[in-house]
Amino acid sequence: MPLYLPIAEISMDIFLVIGMGAIVGFLSGMFGVGGGFLMTPLLIFVGVPPAAAVATQSNVITAASVSGALAHFRRQGIDIKMGIVLIIGGAIGAYFGAGVFAYLRQLGQVDLMISLAYVVFLGSVGGLMFWESVRAILRQRRGYVPPKISREDRHKAWIHALPFKMRFRKSKLYISALLPLLIGMLVGVLAAIMGVGGGFVMVPAMIYLLGMPTNVVIGTSLFQIIFVTALTTIFHSVNTQTVDIFLAVLLLFGAVGGAQLGARVGFKLKGEYLRALLAMLVLVVCANMGFGLALEPDELYSVAPAVSTKAGQ
Amino acid sequence: MRLFTLILAIFFVLVGNTPATALVTDLSNKRIEIRYSFDGAQLILFGAVGSSAVDPVNDAYDIVVVVRGPESATIVRRKDNVGGIWINDANLNFPAAPGYYAVAASRPLSEIAHATVYANYGIGFANLPLIARTDRGLMEPDPDFKKALYRLRAKENLYRQELDSVTLVAEGLFRTDVYLPANVPVGEFLVETFVFQEGSLKARNRIRLNVDKEGFERAAYDFAHGFPFLYGLTAVLVALGAGWLAGVLGKK
Repeated sequence: MPLYLPIAEISMDIFLVIGMGAIVGFLSGMFGVGGGFLMTPLLIFVGVPPAAAVATQSNVITAASVSGALAHFRRQGIDIKMGIVLIIGGAIGAYFGAGVFAYLRQLGQVDLMISLAYVVFLGSVGGLMFWESVRAILRQRRGYVPPKISREDRHKAWIHALPFKMRFRKSKLYISALLPLLIGMLVGVLAAIMGVGGGFVMVPAMIYLLGMPTNVVIGTSLFQIIFVTALTTIFHSVNTQTVDIFLAVLLLFGAVGGAQLGARVGFKLKGEYLRALLAMLVLVVCANMGFGLALEPDELYSVAPAVSTKAGQ
Repeated sequence: MRLFTLILAIFFVLVGNTPATALVTDLSNKRIEIRYSFDGAQLILFGAVGSSAVDPVNDAYDIVVVVRGPESATIVRRKDNVGGIWINDANLNFPAAPGYYAVAASRPLSEIAHATVYANYGIGFANLPLIARTDRGLMEPDPDFKKALYRLRAKENLYRQELDSVTLVAEGLFRTDVYLPANVPVGEFLVETFVFQEGSLKARNRIRLNVDKEGFERAAYDFAHGFPFLYGLTAVLVALGAGWLAGVLGKK
């Protein structure tokens, strides 16, 4: 059943869209990730203009994160203070990211930027995650237990030397506010240019750089993602008018169902195996984008409407 | 009703003494509305050739129908290998490329008239007045880019040539199908009909066709482009509502 999307200006099969939402929702529910890194390339693959794919995906992630964050909020799993610092950083990052996005769209380099960002970030995060999970699986088989690192040693000396120290009670941390601010900024930029929530960068950064306890990491990350993707949606709407609410709602419709099912499957699998699977998935998407850049395309030419030089015209 | 008017018009052309119009055409639909279920449209162009210009009973004639969509600024980009990766490098800006262009004919174009004749009337993609805007001003485009524009738009069914045929029904009556794909641009279209006989133009006329987003689709588009901030805010509120709903339902 075809449906004409008035903003993306294409006609898509309604069941294909809901189906894509369901598949990505299933995977995101299983792995506990937002799934933006899968959905955005998938949308581009089925013919949604890249700008519309990224902008619309921000809107989908807002919704997906709300339901996730609500569950964590009920379990007291959100460090609101930390979240606010991350959001301030995220807002700054998203603002610049959306500006860069609009500028590159005008130059015709949005696709390149999306591909490069995917290759670099997915490649490094996926690689690290894969290595870490495989090591954990091997160690577990050998019965090796890693020595516990004491709280004092978790932070490197340079982190304690930073100014503007703040106390984050829920995370049991007393660290410089600059650090979460910077992490938030990076995630904001990624949200704006890749159409992802940025959890795959933020969660490891919170654990390894900030040293946050794992029980508040996911909730706080989701809490920040809601606000950053909401801002990104507004920035993209103003700059490029590429957010398609209808596409977003359809994708969500599928994603909600898929996520419930995925979560049930996810509970049955061991953490290390889940992480290894997720890492492989991330690396596949990354490799796919990488090949797209490295191999000579069949069609060298592309046609696009000339975007006026004034943003937000 | 339209058909009746058409028959009436044909009657006047064939019977009437005034040789003012030798050619009458009409479309099955002059206003295409893009709504949620839009998946392209197929129109029928009817026409009749009157005896004032050619005698359809005795002399063979040919019909060429050109449908041209609204023009818009279009960029054609070419990827080049820069430092090992393929990126958009060279580009050419066509300030006024038609978003849709279709040529239908009763016989292959080359059999109807000489190429110079088509050039005179701007029939066929090769004769479109496509000018490129460069840093050094307006100039004749690089043929590779022009070919690429044609190739890519043809792939999307937006440029059609030597694909559709005009059927000569009988007694000076003819018809052809005009196919508009789902990704057709909105705006005013011009449908031009040419009557050729022995390689030269005998008559021509043009009628207009409108393609526009309608109803909800139009409202959403206008909202997104006219009030982008409010649109973004609405999108966020919809997402928050949907997410909250999903969270509440998921808990049960």
